[in-house]
Amino acid sequence: MSIERIEKRQGATLVAPALLWTLIFFVLPFLAMALMSLSHLEGRSVVSGPDLRNYAKIFTEASLLKGIAVSLEITVLVTVISVALAWPLAWIIATRVPVRWRRLALLLAVLPFWTSYVVRSYSWALVLGEKGVVMNALVGLGMLSEPVQIMATRSATVTGFVHFFVMLLTLTIYSNLVQLSPNYARAAEDLGASRWQVIRLVILPLTLPGVVTGAFLTFVLCIGDYITPQILGGNNELTLPQLIMLQLGRRGDYPMASALSLVLMLIVTLAYLACARWLKMERV
Amino acid sequence: MRTLSWVYLGAIFTFILLPVVVLVIFSFQDGRLPVPPFKGATLKWYAKILGDRDLMDALVNSMMVAILSSLVAVTLGFLAASGLARAALPGSALMRGLLIAPMTVSYLIIGLGLLQMFNQVGIRPSLLATGIGHVVINLPLCFAILYAAIGEHQKSALQAARDLGAREWQVLWHVAAPMLAPSLAAAFFLSFTFSWDEFIIAFLLTRFDVTLPVEIWSMLRSGLSPATNAVGSLVFLVSVAVVVTLELTLFRKGSK
Amino acid sequence: MTAEVQIRSVSHRFQSFTALEGIDLEIAAGEFIVLLGPSGCGKTTLLSIIGGFLTPSEGEVLIGGRDMTRVAPKDRPTTTMFQDYALFPHMNLRDNVAFGLRMRGVGRKARHDRALEMLEMVGLAAFAARKPHALSGGQRQRVALARALAVEPDVLLLDEPLGALDLKLRRQMQDELKNIQRKVGTTFIHVTHDQEEAMAIADRIVVMNRGHIEHFGTPEDVYLRPRTLFSADFMGEMNRIPVRREGGTSISPLGPLPFDLGEGLLCLRPENIGFDGSFSMGRARLQEVAFFGTHHRCHFVPLKAPDLTLTVNLPQGAHPAPGAEVELFGRDPVLLSEDV
Repeated sequence: MSIERIEKRQGATLVAPALLWTLIFFVLPFLAMALMSLSHLEGRSVVSGPDLRNYAKIFTEASLLKGIAVSLEITVLVTVISVALAWPLAWIIATRVPVRWRRLALLLAVLPFWTSYVVRSYSWALVLGEKGVVMNALVGLGMLSEPVQIMATRSATVTGFVHFFVMLLTLTIYSNLVQLSPNYARAAEDLGASRWQVIRLVILPLTLPGVVTGAFLTFVLCIGDYITPQILGGNNELTLPQLIMLQLGRRGDYPMASALSLVLMLIVTLAYLACARWLKMERV
Repeated sequence: MRTLSWVYLGAIFTFILLPVVVLVIFSFQDGRLPVPPFKGATLKWYAKILGDRDLMDALVNSMMVAILSSLVAVTLGFLAASGLARAALPGSALMRGLLIAPMTVSYLIIGLGLLQMFNQVGIRPSLLATGIGHVVINLPLCFAILYAAIGEHQKSALQAARDLGAREWQVLWHVAAPMLAPSLAAAFFLSFTFSWDEFIIAFLLTRFDVTLPVEIWSMLRSGLSPATNAVGSLVFLVSVAVVVTLELTLFRKGSK
Repeated sequence: MTAEVQIRSVSHRFQSFTALEGIDLEIAAGEFIVLLGPSGCGKTTLLSIIGGFLTPSEGEVLIGGRDMTRVAPKDRPTTTMFQDYALFPHMNLRDNVAFGLRMRGVGRKARHDRALEMLEMVGLAAFAARKPHALSGGQRQRVALARALAVEPDVLLLDEPLGALDLKLRRQMQDELKNIQRKVGTTFIHVTHDQEEAMAIADRIVVMNRGHIEHFGTPEDVYLRPRTLFSADFMGEMNRIPVRREGGTSISPLGPLPFDLGEGLLCLRPENIGFDGSFSMGRARLQEVAFFGTHHRCHFVPLKAPDLTLTVNLPQGAHPAPGAEVELFGRDPVLLSEDV
């Protein structure tokens, strides 16, 4: 046996456990789910297909279609707001905060990461509730005559999401910013650019790849999340993950839950392809 | 621009820190609702949760699942990364892609898939099932971190070890693992954090013995309570303590 | 466009570290000046102060007779070519070169024409639509030069622009830089730690060490008549022979010298020792020899001073066999005192 063959066999032996694990516990369940999505529920029993009834239903039944629309709207809104808030924060920390305070500022900016995920949504429920701190302060300051309902609305869901993703994006954008050679800004300034022009014409475009990557991550995590809309948004308008959980819980409709999951995956894949395409184009 | 920067910094930090501050403050609320007005400080909610059997069981469960699933994920990721870095295997790009793939799939979908498969083969929802799910979500991360950590320099060190007569397991144990120790630690802590905090897979795949996030979730159903604040604050303070300790010991040394 | 630069008693401190101490420098308009020294000598700090990226702790900078000490980089008649070139990776070459003109409000057509003209000058007009990452190191360096010159600065500052290039390309770029400088007439201030590069391109060299100027003069001056041991050593290899005075004559370990320069170290470049010269250095034995292409590098041990070793560069094909004893002669000696 040649040396290359031995090397390859040993390499393959090392990769095998992880590959097997992924095949058995990721690919196989996924295939099972795909298969399940092609069957349908009659009464309480699953009738094997293959048929496309679930998919037909998703694109005809208003409540399901609306779920997809709501999820997309919330996710796009959250992604845009989060990027818009996180970029200036990352930039200020990277360029305005004195070096010795930088690490502390960054640590503070992501501090709430360290609460439990469920608790983070819960604490927004505390803050935004009718008797919560925000309403108390607004009414106390005379800016509102009486509390406004925020909880159990889309605003609450978006606030909770934005809170989380601002932290995430600040980290990714910050690491992008500090990797840029300071000479880019210097060169632009040296050639006569104003502070604002330096940011708009040089720094911002240079961080775009990082921003797009971060935005994609935000998109994926946001559109697949169940907790935040469930705790903060309530049941007034349901997102896709909420609908999926509803199929499971109330009716045990695994076929429909599977079909909706695949739709969710499809959306994420499309978003991924769009980002990948953009990043590739950017390189040319 | 300077003033504007500081104003912005103040505003956004308020937004980021507000919920945590409110959470912690009202965990000391001497009253039944964790909302203003603040009626005075008490530790009774902490006493209550520390005495809560279910909660403490859930905490231990979470700890176990997080540690064990992270160990498995790091080990599998380490082996796979060394294997793929070792030789140009046919289809290695495909293998890398497959190993990374779960990272782009929502936890909800991974959980749902596992739930259905476990149902079909008759595996009951349990902590073990949850642990398996957590390995699935953390393996891509560990693999990616460790694969990225094996650069040309590391590759030639491994080659040298083999050249000097080390067997494959000796290479891994005596050379690769110590050399990648910082990345192994980083991968482990990240996995631990994700597993510790993961809700939806644990929610779908556990029934009687649950993890902490699932237990907290069930506490939420009974509405707002300072007890929930106390749990959240406790988790928060312990995590921050761990992070600060790591920052002051491990990473400070590592950065020098 | 060109202007003279005056540096008047400039000092700069970073916290407790003194990077520059009492620097005075008069640079004439249109000169090609090289700031030369080892890393940490303060040459880059001085360049940053001239460019406006640092404000000196003390002293002032005058460009074209006007005080620029506290003027922002963009309002100075200087541009900088950065070590890493800092070409904007998201813009094509034309937009990179036109950037400064765009900032000055020059219209699209005019600035694009000018950018193409500049790219033409550095021989890259054909690549105007490409992005920087598609270029080689030498090409990027040319674009950076074109970009910095497009706004017609009075003074161009170059921060080790050739450091990242391989040797052959570096020599080629040196000639090109020199040519372009002659063509545009702008004052160039160029930082490097490579003394060969400095001699190849400079009108005058500023040798710097530990925050002060060791020597400021033409390449010949600095190489042949160094003022300090530091600049003597930094510019190239040097044989040092201690000299003391005794009753009106200078005595070295090789014997009395036929001239009186005083006490100190007699410094001789390896190429200034050979089989003929202005004074005899006594007989010496050839210990070893190595062929360097342009010359033979030989180590001689003087018979009178066996603990000294002289490094001598002899012309091709003109060296005795190792072990042979010959009489050596020296020329153009320089006497320097020990560094304080």
